[in-house]
Amino acid sequence: MSGFIARRLLQGLVVLVLVATVVFFLGRLTGNPADLMLPEDATAEDRQRLIEALGLDGSLFKQFVAFISSALKGDLGTSLRMRQPAIDVFLSRLPNTLAIIPWALLLAMVVGIPLGVVAALHRGRLLDRAAGTIAVLGIATPSFWLGIVLIFLFSVELGWLPSGRMGGPEHYVLPVITLGAFLTAGFMRLTRSSMLEVLESEYVKLARIKGLSESVVIWKHCLRNALIPVLTLWGVFVGNLITGAIVTETVFAWPGVGRLTYEAVIYRDFPLLQAIIILKAILILTINLVVDILYAYVDPRIRVN
Amino acid sequence: MRSTPWICILVIVTMVFMAVFAPLLTPYSPIDQTLRDKLLPPFWLEGGSMKYLLGTDAFGRDILSRLLYGARVSLIVATLALTAGGGVGLVIGIVAGYLGGTVESILMRLVDAAFTFPAILFALLLAVTMGQGLGTLVIAISLLLWASFARVIRGEVLALKQRDFVALAKVRGCSEPRIMLTHILPNVLSTFMVLVTLNIGVVVIAEASLSFLGAGIPPPTPSWGLMVSEGRGRIADAWWVSLIPGLAITALVLSVNVFGDWLRDRLDPRLRQL
Amino acid sequence: MTVRVNTNEPQLGLPAALSRAVAPEGSIAPKIYFEAVGEEEFRKKPIGSGPWKFVRSVPGDRIEFEAVTHPHWRGRPHFKNLHILQIPEESTRVAMVRTGEAAIASISPETVLSAGRGGLEVLTIPGTMQAVFQFYGAWRPSVKDDPITRPRVRQALSLAIDREQIIEHVMAGKAQMPRPFATFGFTDSLSVDRWKKWSDDAYRYDPALAKKILAEEGYPNGFVLKFANVALPGTQFMISIGTAIADMWTKIGIKVNMKHYEWGAFPPMQMGEQPNLTGWASMFRTAGRPDVPWRYNAAFAPDSTERLLGDTGDCQETCRKFLEIYKAVINERDPAKRTTLNDSMVQLIADQWIVVPIIEGMGYYAINKKKVGEFAAIPGRHELGDVFERMPHPDEKPWKN
Repeated sequence: MSGFIARRLLQGLVVLVLVATVVFFLGRLTGNPADLMLPEDATAEDRQRLIEALGLDGSLFKQFVAFISSALKGDLGTSLRMRQPAIDVFLSRLPNTLAIIPWALLLAMVVGIPLGVVAALHRGRLLDRAAGTIAVLGIATPSFWLGIVLIFLFSVELGWLPSGRMGGPEHYVLPVITLGAFLTAGFMRLTRSSMLEVLESEYVKLARIKGLSESVVIWKHCLRNALIPVLTLWGVFVGNLITGAIVTETVFAWPGVGRLTYEAVIYRDFPLLQAIIILKAILILTINLVVDILYAYVDPRIRVN
Repeated sequence: MRSTPWICILVIVTMVFMAVFAPLLTPYSPIDQTLRDKLLPPFWLEGGSMKYLLGTDAFGRDILSRLLYGARVSLIVATLALTAGGGVGLVIGIVAGYLGGTVESILMRLVDAAFTFPAILFALLLAVTMGQGLGTLVIAISLLLWASFARVIRGEVLALKQRDFVALAKVRGCSEPRIMLTHILPNVLSTFMVLVTLNIGVVVIAEASLSFLGAGIPPPTPSWGLMVSEGRGRIADAWWVSLIPGLAITALVLSVNVFGDWLRDRLDPRLRQL
Repeated sequence: MTVRVNTNEPQLGLPAALSRAVAPEGSIAPKIYFEAVGEEEFRKKPIGSGPWKFVRSVPGDRIEFEAVTHPHWRGRPHFKNLHILQIPEESTRVAMVRTGEAAIASISPETVLSAGRGGLEVLTIPGTMQAVFQFYGAWRPSVKDDPITRPRVRQALSLAIDREQIIEHVMAGKAQMPRPFATFGFTDSLSVDRWKKWSDDAYRYDPALAKKILAEEGYPNGFVLKFANVALPGTQFMISIGTAIADMWTKIGIKVNMKHYEWGAFPPMQMGEQPNLTGWASMFRTAGRPDVPWRYNAAFAPDSTERLLGDTGDCQETCRKFLEIYKAVINERDPAKRTTLNDSMVQLIADQWIVVPIIEGMGYYAINKKKVGEFAAIPGRHELGDVFERMPHPDEKPWKN
């Protein structure tokens, strides 16, 4: 088991280095942020002074070396726009994004898993397709469109909910629905297929022969086993959510890392961009590692791979 | 799922038809403006007319025409991105799965890195570096797809490797590339087809989201995502500008997904990792 | 309090520049505090002249102010807390005003119409900006045979634009016909009436004449025009204007190659040899201002960023004439003579059609009357969005005496 963990850790590290390198060079290719921050009538000297002040002079290689050495010391640079250490900016916004993620996952599970069970039990018939369609509606509706329509309906027309920003529980409702909608299908599909697999397994046939009631068979035995693969989705989905909340956060003016990322690209805030991607990668790799370990613990066949 | 999803197939075929025959189906150009005729409602509402069946947008452009030409954009982007991304993913999946060992390790690490790297962010960066355009968009979306194709195909290949006919081919002295090409490839094709179908929706949504963020096909070329984005300020009074293309996106992705689910069920119900 | 400013030479634009009506410079800050805490700390916890006191800011999200409690020479604010929030999505901003979560939101002209519903007031402040299109690098030898190097061709492009349509349909009626570049009605440094008459005629819509001029200049079948569509921070409607005029040019036979730029990508292109902008037409803007020379200098001087007439290595006839007039203006003490000089400077540029005004725009705000009540706005730099999207010009060295 510890060998497994060690191997996965090492792999994660390699991935991290790859990501950091790509990010650094790609970010620099998009232009010099100093130009963005100057007023319309700045002179060439003003520009040079700003470039030096921000540490953007010197060859690309020199900048890269500087970047790596300070990263290893735990310094991922200073956000050009916010004038604060990039890590601090990221960490200050991260809780906001993390605040909606569990709710979105919960919503998706509460809706998706039962739909998957229904679909599996009525496989091939109308209910199966109906459940599938409802779940897929979540992926088919673009999240920005859904968000805007929800705001219009529930905030403007009905006045029941606020239209954006963070705040009390009522501020969470619409963003959570928007974010959770497209995860529903994933949960539904996976629950359905693993339920199907379990329903046909020897173990269940045995339970039926033993005379256990159908509902006990389904709920107690099948569902529990069927849900194990669903665990793996957590890893994928949380990763998706952390990176994909960009659109939702923009529409709802949610002060999270998604919006931060988008603005970092638009404003050419390299250090912040680098830090965000690297920190997100670390987060995702960690979550995936934890999920994989959990899964390997539960299902020993995986460890061998 | 025994019954064929006829409605979905009909929707998909209609949209392809719309895309291919767009110029023949409408007298208007999708980018021609008539400011005086701006924000007219669809014909069934008060103030609408048969002149502009689905109404007009803020620049007086005919929405139906833009919808038709937008279908083209979706079709082209989907075809190109799925061919490129799917193709690359297919090859990598087969090679990694069959050859195993170090090759597999390296390739799968790349796949992991791709998953870790925020796809939309990458697309934004590309759009900003290389400028907006069809090429940039296709590259960005392909990069989104290849990793998931690779992962699933590799899984399939791992299972296939153990099968008798492969062992037989090895015994007969077939070379590895030949085995991959003539034995493995045909057998993963059905999985590949299901993946393609299921990912059409991903591509359409990705294109729409990127257009919303300002990194997609540049205006004035219509794309459904861009149309939704342009109309979002007027949901209160001119809701058709956003709603109609939004519905088109939803209808297409829905149909494609239900069809894909049916396809997967028919071809091989064991493909649970999809 | 008296603030005395010493300058090396006559600085005509100084009062306007310091007034914050035109530019970010000119806010009064405490020197002792600044030097004690340094620039970074000052940026994090600024102290100004009031009547608002800085409370806290979350970078990229909000800035919070509190009214001062002592009597203030500007007048005490009527409410205690002022929070400026950054909400990127306009429909969300408007929704927040509707529900009362926000009291004032900056909006675009197209929202002005739909904002009429449900308790929303719309405030428009006139004369805050001009949307223009301008031609970069038309003086460079590399494009000397291009159609856009000919003033009459540029004039034709202006005649092809139906400004009334743009005002009515793109700006929802909330804009007006422009005067020449960077000139507005609220000044006495120019002959305002004369310019109004001139622009009413010069900026009319005459597509037939436009086509005729193109034919005369040798382009009876039009030509390919490269056009950069971009919106400066706070005035997103520039994109819609650009889209509309591109179509109007198409209607007189021009093939428009429109490229859309986010503001983030645009400023770097103005640097150096301007390879990506030379020979291009581009959307741009100027803020409303009473004094013209300073803005002209920023656009036309050979050492400016835009360098629309020439640069220090290549300053031809028009460029030199401009420098002459500009120098005379800033050294002229007699206001009447200065007006005449200003007029001649405006005429020089207007006849070149190098920067062509499209419309004179306004600042647009949606207001929740129940939260804010009645108030009269003062003209100034109107874009709330602009404040957020630009960082102040960095001053690395604290003042030394």
